[in-house]
This record gives sequence, C-alpha cells and structure tokens, in this order.
Amino acid sequence: MNLVRAAASNRVLRPVLSALGTLLGVAVFVFVMLRAIPGNQITAGLGTEAAALTPAQQAALEAYYGLDKPLVTQFFNWLGNIFTGNLGFSSRAQQSVLELTAQSLPVTLELAVFSIVLALLIGIPLGMLSASRPDSPRDAFGQAVGLMGLSVPSFLLATALLAILSATVRFNPNGQAFAYFSEDPLLNLQQMLLPSLVLGFGIAAPIMRTTRTAVLEVRGQDFIRTARAKGVGPRRLQVRHVLKNALVPIVTMTGLQFGYLLGGAVVVEQIFSLPGIGRQVLLGIQQKEYALVQSTVLLIALAFVVVNLLTDLLYRIIDPRVRAE
Amino acid sequence: MIAGRRARRGTAVAVGLSLAGALVLSGCAPAATSTGSAAQSGAAGAGGTLVVGVTSEPDTLFPWKATQFQAVNVLQNIYGTLTEFDKDLNVVPGLAESWDTSSDGLTLTLHLRKGVTFDDGSAFDSADVKFSLDKIKEEATAAVAAASLASVKSVDATDPETVTVHLSAPDAGLLANLGVVNMAMLSSDDTEAALNTTPNGTGPFTLKERKANQSLSLVRNDAYWGDKTKLDGVEFRVIPDESSIVSAMQSGNVQFAVFDDPLVAQTAAAAGLAVAKTPQLSYHVLQLNARKGPLTDVNVRLAMQCAIDRQQVLDTAAAGEGQITGPITSPAFRSDPNSRPCPTRDLTKAAEYLAKAGKSDGVTIKTIVSQGEYSTSVNEAQNLKAQLAEAKITLDLDVLESGAYVDRWIGADFEAAVALNGGRPDPDGAYSRYFTSTGNLNKVAGYSSPELDQLFAEGRQTSDLAKRKEIYTKISNNLEDNAVWIWMFTSYTYTATTSNVTGFTPMANSSLQYLRETAIG
Amino acid sequence: MTEISESAPASLAGVQSGQRLRLLLKSRSGVAGLILVGLLAILCVLAAFGLLPYDPLAQAPQQRLLPPSAAHWFGTDQFGRDVFSRVAAGVASSALIAVVAVAFATVVGTLAGVSAGFFRGVSDAVVSGVTNVLFAFPPLLLALSLASVFDRNWFTIAVAIAIVYVPIFIRVTRGPVLSLREIDFVRAAVSSGQRRTAIMFRHVLPNITSILIVQVTLSLSWAVLTEASLSFLGLGTPPPAPSLGSMIYEARTLVYIAPWTMVAPGVIVVLFVVGLNLLGDGLRDSLDPRNRGRK
Repeated sequence: MNLVRAAASNRVLRPVLSALGTLLGVAVFVFVMLRAIPGNQITAGLGTEAAALTPAQQAALEAYYGLDKPLVTQFFNWLGNIFTGNLGFSSRAQQSVLELTAQSLPVTLELAVFSIVLALLIGIPLGMLSASRPDSPRDAFGQAVGLMGLSVPSFLLATALLAILSATVRFNPNGQAFAYFSEDPLLNLQQMLLPSLVLGFGIAAPIMRTTRTAVLEVRGQDFIRTARAKGVGPRRLQVRHVLKNALVPIVTMTGLQFGYLLGGAVVVEQIFSLPGIGRQVLLGIQQKEYALVQSTVLLIALAFVVVNLLTDLLYRIIDPRVRAE
Repeated sequence: MIAGRRARRGTAVAVGLSLAGALVLSGCAPAATSTGSAAQSGAAGAGGTLVVGVTSEPDTLFPWKATQFQAVNVLQNIYGTLTEFDKDLNVVPGLAESWDTSSDGLTLTLHLRKGVTFDDGSAFDSADVKFSLDKIKEEATAAVAAASLASVKSVDATDPETVTVHLSAPDAGLLANLGVVNMAMLSSDDTEAALNTTPNGTGPFTLKERKANQSLSLVRNDAYWGDKTKLDGVEFRVIPDESSIVSAMQSGNVQFAVFDDPLVAQTAAAAGLAVAKTPQLSYHVLQLNARKGPLTDVNVRLAMQCAIDRQQVLDTAAAGEGQITGPITSPAFRSDPNSRPCPTRDLTKAAEYLAKAGKSDGVTIKTIVSQGEYSTSVNEAQNLKAQLAEAKITLDLDVLESGAYVDRWIGADFEAAVALNGGRPDPDGAYSRYFTSTGNLNKVAGYSSPELDQLFAEGRQTSDLAKRKEIYTKISNNLEDNAVWIWMFTSYTYTATTSNVTGFTPMANSSLQYLRETAIG
Repeated sequence: MTEISESAPASLAGVQSGQRLRLLLKSRSGVAGLILVGLLAILCVLAAFGLLPYDPLAQAPQQRLLPPSAAHWFGTDQFGRDVFSRVAAGVASSALIAVVAVAFATVVGTLAGVSAGFFRGVSDAVVSGVTNVLFAFPPLLLALSLASVFDRNWFTIAVAIAIVYVPIFIRVTRGPVLSLREIDFVRAAVSSGQRRTAIMFRHVLPNITSILIVQVTLSLSWAVLTEASLSFLGLGTPPPAPSLGSMIYEARTLVYIAPWTMVAPGVIVVLFVVGLNLLGDGLRDSLDPRNRGRK
C-alpha cells in the first residue's frame, strides 16, 4: 500500500528521471572520449599499411566504416538506432553488437554471480568471526585474510594460480575451448572455478569488513542491550537480531561489488580466456569499433543503474526505519 | 532452531567445499584426455585437429584487406594465389601452373591450373583471375595490394585457362607480388559482404565455424587441387594472454603456437615444449626522415650511423636473439651488413661527421617509438638513446601507444622512428614503394633521389637473377652510404609445438602455409 | 575495487592532534600500518636521492636472470638490472602516481562535494549529475580509455586515475556536509551574515577531515592497484621507468625460469597496499568519536 503510493509519487519518478539523465551523460561521454583516442578503425585494422592508401581508397574505407558523416549525425544515428534495437554492427566479428553481447553478457554475469557467492561465503563468516571477539587473535586472523584479498592484484593471483596448476597437476580447463553452461555444465563450472576464486577473494575483503563493522555497530546499540538485559541468549541474538540489522550495509556493499564486477573483470577474463563483456569492450577499444564500445558501455551503465535502483528498493524493504517513513 | 540454522549453514559450507573439491579433481582428468580427444590420432600421422593458440582472432576475413598477421595466417590456408612461395621463398606455381614473359617484358601470360574449384563448387577460371586483378586495382575496393599492380595496364581472359597481363613497363617483381594473400583469387560471383561471413577460396582448408572472440575452426578441403592435408582440421583458439598460451600447451590443451618474444620462447622451452627459431624477413630499423630538421644533412645521418653498435642494441633489447642486417633481408638478395661506412661503432668518425655538418656541439632528434606493438621497441629505443648520447646526439623519445604512433608514422610527423617493418621476398616489393619518388610510402621514408629511381627501374626491367642481384646490391649500398635509415637487425619467430606435432616448416615470411603438411601423433 | 568509508559524520568537538596520535598508536593495525608504510617510504626516499645499490635503469646483459644473492638481494631481471633497486624505484614511482592521483581527486572531489552539499541548487545538480555518469562507468575501462587519449607518461596516468576517483570523494564529502548544514551553529553563522565561503572553510571543512583522511589512505592503496592493472593491460607508464605494475607485467613470461622477478615486486605491492589499509583502519579507529573515552 505504502509502496504503491510511493511509486505513484515523486519519490520514484525522480530517481528514474535521474537514471535516464545519467545514461544520456554516459552516452555523450563515451562517444566523445572514444573519438579523442588517437587512431580510428582504419588505422587499427591496417596499421602502418594505412600509409599506403590513396585518397580515393581512404575515402572508400571511411564510407565503409561510417566515419565520413559529421560527428553529430553519427551520434544521433547511433542513439536512434538503439531505440529500434539496433546496437550497431561489428565488422570484425561480422555479428551485430546485440548478438555479441547476448553471447558475452551471460558469461560475465555467471562469473559475477559465482564470485559474489564465493565472496559472501568467505566474507560473512570471516566478518562474524572477527566481530565475535574484537581485537583478539581471531579478529586479527579474519582481518589479515581480508586484507590479503584486498591487496593482492587480481592478475598476479590469476597468473600465479594458472601457471602453478598447469605445471604441476596439469589442471587447466581454461585451456580448452570455452563451454557455455547450456553446452557442457561440468566443463563450464570448471572453467569458472579459478576466475571466480580470484575475483571472489578480492571482493570478500570489503564484505568481510562491512560485516565486521556492521555487526559491531549493531551489537553496541540500544535494542540489543535491551534484549540482552531481557535474557535473550547470545546465539539467538547473534543470528536473528544482529545479522538481520547488519544486512543493510552488507547488501549495499554487495550491490556495489556487482556493479563493479560487470566491467571490472576484464583482467581476469583476459588471463582465463573467458569471452565476457569486459573483453568485448577492451577489444572494441583496441580495434576502435566505436558502435560496439558505445553500445556495450551504455548497456553496462544501464545494468549498473538498474542494480542501484533495485538495491535502493531492497534497502527500503529491509530497513524498518525506512519503511516507516 | 538456532542450532538447526547453524547446522544448515555448516552443511552448506561443507557441501560447497566438497563440490569444489570434486570439480578440481575431475578437472585434472579431462585435461589429460583432452589431448587424446583433440588429437584423435587413429592411424599414424593421419587425421586429428590441431589446436593453435593465438592471442586474438582475425580482424577481417576478406583477404584483400587483411594486414594483421592473425588474419593473414588464417586466410593463407583458405584462399589461393596465382604464385606461391616454397620454404626458401622461391616463387613457385600456385593457381598458375606456368607462365611466359614476352621478350620486351611487357606481356605476362599465365597458364592456369585445370580442375580447380572454389569451396562453393564453382570452377576457377580466367574470368575469376581477371575479375580479381581488376577489382584489386580499383580504388573503391581499397585493396592493400593495389599499388603492386601499378605496372599492370590491362588484364585479358584470353581463354578459360589462360590470362594475359599487359604491362606498361617490365616488372620483375610482379610474380612475387602475386604470391601474397592480399592477391588472393576470388570468384567473380562473390562480394566482400558475402565473403566476410562465408569465405569461398581454393586453399587446402575451408572455414568450418567461427565463434566470435573464442575460436575459428578450419576443416580439410577435400576438393583441394594439391595434396590433401594430413590434418582433419585446425582450431585457432583465442587465448589473449601469451603466458596462458604456454600454460595451455603445458597442460596439453593447445599443441601449436607462434611467439615473437624471446622470453616467452625461453619459458616455453623451459616448460618442455619443442621450440624452433626462424629468422624473419622483417627488420628492426631506426627510420630517419631526411626531409626534417637536422637530418636533412647527410653528415648528421652518417654521424648517427657511426655512433651505433648494432650488436649492443641486439644484445640489450632482444637478448642477442637476431642477426645484424643491411637493408635487404630476403635470402636471395641479402645485403652485406659490413658494406656500410661504419660497420662497427666509431665515435671518432661520428664526431668528424658532426663537425662537417657544423654541429659539433651536438644535435637533438625528435624520435617516436611505439609501445605494445612488439616486445623490443622501447628497449631498443633506450639503448639507442644511451649510445647516441655518447656521440652528443640526443634522441628525444616520444613513447606512444600504437594508435598514436600509427597516426604520426603515417603523417611522417617525426624526425626519427624506431620501427619494425615487414620485409618481402622480392626487394622491389620491399622497398620501391618507400624509396622511389613516386612510391606511395615515400613521404614516410623521407628520402628519394634520381639515382635510386633509376636503379629501381633497372631492377624491374630484367628477370635475370644475377643481374638483379647486382642492381639491388647497388641500391643497398646507396641507401647505406647516404645513411637513409639505420638498419639494425632481423629477429626470430619462435614456433612452439608439443612433441606429437610433426611436419611443420616455419617460413621467413612467418607464413603458416605448411600447416597443410602438418600431422599430429 | 572501490571502497567508501561509510562512517557517520565526525563529532564536532575538536580533538587535539596529540590525542589523535596517541589513539592511533594504541590501535594495533595503526601501528603495523605505520611501520609498513614507513619502511616503504624509506625505500622511496632512497630511490629519490639515488642512494640505491645499483642504477635501476642500468642494463648489464651478462648478468641476466641471476637468482638472489649477496650482490643482488632480489636477483636480476631479463636485462641484468638489479631487481631490488628497480623495486625501490618502482615503489617511488607508484607512490608518486598514487599520491598525485589521490591529491587531485581529493582537492577536486572535496571542493565539488562540499560546494554541492552546502550551496545546493544548480551546483548540486551539476555535480551530482557528473558523479552519477562517472560512477556508471566500469572503473578500469574508464581509466583505460582516459589513459589512451593522451601521451603516455606518469602524469597523464595519474590524472586518468584521479578522474575515476573524483566521484568517490564527491559522494563521501557531500553527504556529511548536507547534514552539517542543519546543525545549529552553522545555521547561526549563516543567519548572522557570515560569508558562505568563510563558513565553508571555518566550520564545515574541519569536521569532515576525519572522513577524508580515511578515504585518502584507502584510495591510495587502490590507486596503486589500478596502476598495476593498467600496466597489465599495456597502458601503464612506458618502460624503462620502473613501476611495480609494469614489473609484474614483464615478469609474467619469466615466472617459470626466474620467479624472483615476479615475487619481489608482487610482495612489495601487497605490503604497500596492506600497509596503507592498516594505516587507514588505524586512523579510522583513532578518529572515530565513539572510541574516545574508551581505553
């Protein structure tokens, strides 16, 4: 009832409009920035051989790649096409950007989900362990593990793991052709194992710290002290009251990580040869395929914005104080 | 209830851990069997799919526009050309079985091979040759090899098995130029758009399937005009990181890879893989723009030439993996690196040249160098800078990312450039476009002279090998005596294979054409 | 990975710096962090004044790939350069980039965030809009693209990283400022006619310093990692200038034959980032008003 009224009111409309404005800003920004990078699709493809092109050949190539139209026209053509579902075409892959993204996005999503699950499995218990007795060796251990995750560069961990495992136990499922979950679930899970471990280890740290801080904070609060005084047992306290209230910042932090993972897994995707969306954008930037990069970045931004909106909503549901407003 | 929840959480963790353990354990087994299944070696030496590790996939499937080596490597195996190269880079028959040149050198008659078909089943004949050559010359096609056909006036399909090419001037380099994949023969019914999705060639392999950013698979062409390939197919698997390729070879998932970086090759060898090293036609050079700044004076250029110990550059930048070279790198015409004003470093002479140029106090050269294009660029630049500094020549280095470097290189917006340029089997193909006044890369080369124009024209006029060798030696000496550029060394390409791969011959032009003779098991 | 310190606005009671320092030293993580960062700072100073055992750029091809020994504590790399000297120089270089990047982000981000929170209206709309746009970008890809636009040197990379961080500082400062505005004595200052900018500097800024300090140390650690990732993608500071990231990148091909070339810079990066994080934690504990009054 409250939710319906809230939806109809300004409180929902404003964030949605702001989200749309953000997306437009992203579109303009990525459009301009790409063209500021030296080189274009012609020089990216031909390299120094592009110097041998005659003016007529140059003109033919520019027309072929759509580089001959004025910038403003290119921008509105691209945006206009997006609304009709045409995200552009990659001449390198000979597929539409929509098709390419439909193939690569699930890979990154799968990686993100597994990484978050692993991070939660590592981070929350560690955080609660640390918070159970602050400033004890237990706490130091938990924090140390968390710190390591935060500090080791992902590509260092990834390269080292891959090198060691390939050389010693010949475990390298990522050396085989990539298998989607629908094609070969077992191989797919094997190929996702190491990358999710690496990424999950990295983001377990903020989750662990947030859990620890949140649990400590909640424990010190009045209603907990009251429950204690009333005689509620420590374990029940821990799980039911403390964890539930600590969930809010943990959920926020997890939402942040998810948004980050969508584009930040580039390095891991490179090392483990996962055909995800981060690699798609990286290749697009290197080969100067403007439409590919623009549309994909816009999609990622859209996902990020949507996740933020959803997290916001979730927040309103969990936190009783917010709901009461 | 709490105990229940706790227990449930504990169980979840335990289950998760055991699942992970199971995954890891089962992962070890398939890695071993995948070698078997990938090789599928039944009868000795027959069949199987070779998995080649590459860092990226081809950027185009249209042979007339392909310059990146991943694209060239794949397309060479799908498409055919009129002439081909053997492992010593001699021109041998391809789709043209034999040819005659008229005595005045103005008419080239090609006799085409009979019974050749394209992948779509249509017959290959002179109409396709005429179509291909005409289209390549046409500017609207934007074919990279167009300039190689500059001497071609017209092409006639005299009869289905004969093509007559009319030249405006004799062109001894034409037959070699016809052997590159950018001169692939396409069917007259095909368009670029169609070929981008479905290649249609006459080569030993055909395209089976392609997964964007993941892999590209070729399969044996049973209708090929030559010996059928021993392999059933080849899979080019995209593994973006070179160290990951080595790991994949160690675990047996990948059987073949080509590296440029000597360090990666060293790692591969240390990992127990067979690594063959092959000198390449491409050359490492310090390009000088003789039309800019202090370099307009030949004495400044000669001073630079004398101030550089090329072996030191080779040792520091490439761990000694290479050979000092002169301008011409193709084996049949190879320059003698000792026939240059300063074959070894001579700082006294360098100082003399600088004094002659009136620059005894020193000179500054704005130099561009790329980063990320090839592994040794920046280290070469650093060593050159250090060496030249001792001769009072300052290299003002601009380290550029490849897009920015290419832009400046194309616009000849530099005084000096540290570059790795591709070589060609025929010296005319390699250098006429740079060092003739009408060459399409002359602006970048920064130098031309009537003597060179004359010599290049002479070199095209005769097909006599001995005479041509003389002429190109003269060209090479001219380039060195005028210190047009500073040629340093050629490096190696490293072909790494697992022990069960046989029959592959690497080539100096880095072609993978001998995949057609490769076998596994 | 971006982390925002989500602590509540600092108490308005002024705390003497002496008391702060004592609290910092009481916190175990603070001390550990201080020691680690201090050690690495010594390395930086050594590198800056050329007091290293070898020249980090001097190549000696005869001594390629030597394992650690008395002469070369961390061994030599593929060009015969002393790895210890290079690592020290790399720490200095990474630290320089991180400090410049974070300084830039702090100044720009704080000014923008405080103005937006304090003055509201148009400036708030503009700043929030820009923040949202930058936040919606995947951070590594943003840094990558920005680094590709300009000539590659340490300064442009620092600026690229800074731009990625500005939104975080805006967000971290804007929130507390919004609530601070409503506090009585600020209101009183406004109604008594003091100039807005004076109020900003005299009353508002000092009270968000604690949050800023913590965010700065966290961002420093993250800038070091971002620079390392950029080097991995081939977009770091151009060689031969050593930076920890590019050293790890180059060592990837050597990990079988000369593991010390990766272990040394790798361990130092980890120690650097761990030290900065511990210091940040210690600072957070010492500056948290709830800790004051506790033993």
